[in-house]
Amino acid sequence: LKPEKRGKIQIYSDILEAFYKNVNGNELSLTRISHTTNLPYDRFKKYLDELVQLGMVSRQNENLAVTEKGLEYVEWNRKTATFLRRMGLVP
Amino acid sequence: MSTEILVISEFVSTALALVLVYFFSKAYKATGFAYLLGLPIGFSFLALSYILLGASLPYEGGGTIQEVLIWSRLIARSYGFAFIAFTYFFSSKTERATKRFLGIISFFSATLLLFVFGFMVITPPLELPSTAAVDEGFTIANLVFLGYAIYSVVRRLELSKEPIAGLWAPTAFFLLVLNQYSSLIWEIDGSQTSFVLAHCFRIASLLLFIRVYESAGRAKH
Repeated sequence: LKPEKRGKIQIYSDILEAFYKNVNGNELSLTRISHTTNLPYDRFKKYLDELVQLGMVSRQNENLAVTEKGLEYVEWNRKTATFLRRMGLVP
Repeated sequence: MSTEILVISEFVSTALALVLVYFFSKAYKATGFAYLLGLPIGFSFLALSYILLGASLPYEGGGTIQEVLIWSRLIARSYGFAFIAFTYFFSSKTERATKRFLGIISFFSATLLLFVFGFMVITPPLELPSTAAVDEGFTIANLVFLGYAIYSVVRRLELSKEPIAGLWAPTAFFLLVLNQYSSLIWEIDGSQTSFVLAHCFRIASLLLFIRVYESAGRAKH
């Protein structure tokens, strides 16, 4: 079975999580992060730019980091995932 | 139970169902999964059915207005449970199935509109079968829908990870089953105890669903 297509909000959350786990503190390439999030590189870059514009990822020189707002967003998404799991709506 | 208490009970149930509509809408917005639309739609129909039941109470002597309100309530209630069951059915399906689900929503909505149109314009309500004659059939259908929802939730239970919190959703659905079962008993023998229990089970169930959402916000990840 094909997995359910992710919505934009879920993709944002996946990128932020991957970023937080892999970039904050480590030096991993964006290509690697795009693989982690199962996104083609061009689409990944587009979403990343949107996250920077939304203030969820900060870009200083060439360094990228998840902001407080980004972390709150990830937390909100995790709560939703817990709720859906407890409702038996996601495996 | 006096009419005033019943109206208050319907009002409380409506308010609780609308809170759940809000929570489920947020979950849909967060994920973007189309099948999740079934829950806010389902609970909206349930809220509508509670409003219609409350509105029918002042016309307790029978007559056209009460029949129309009760018919509409029966349809809204079954739609509500059907949408909840459909949500579980499509939760394990693919993207193509999700689009089919949206098609079903459109089909059901069109059917509902035709029903309402028939009630109001084409078929005089008094020529329809009495609601007392069909009430049991609707309730049995609701029990089937709820049974499927419980089966789906239990199948995905992870009690080893969350022994208590994992049981709240199936318990809430089970309380809705008891609500429908008590309604069925009341429809058959007119027992006042069953009627009171049906209302208690319903409010307890809606409160428990709210608890599921509220506790997810406090869960450690």
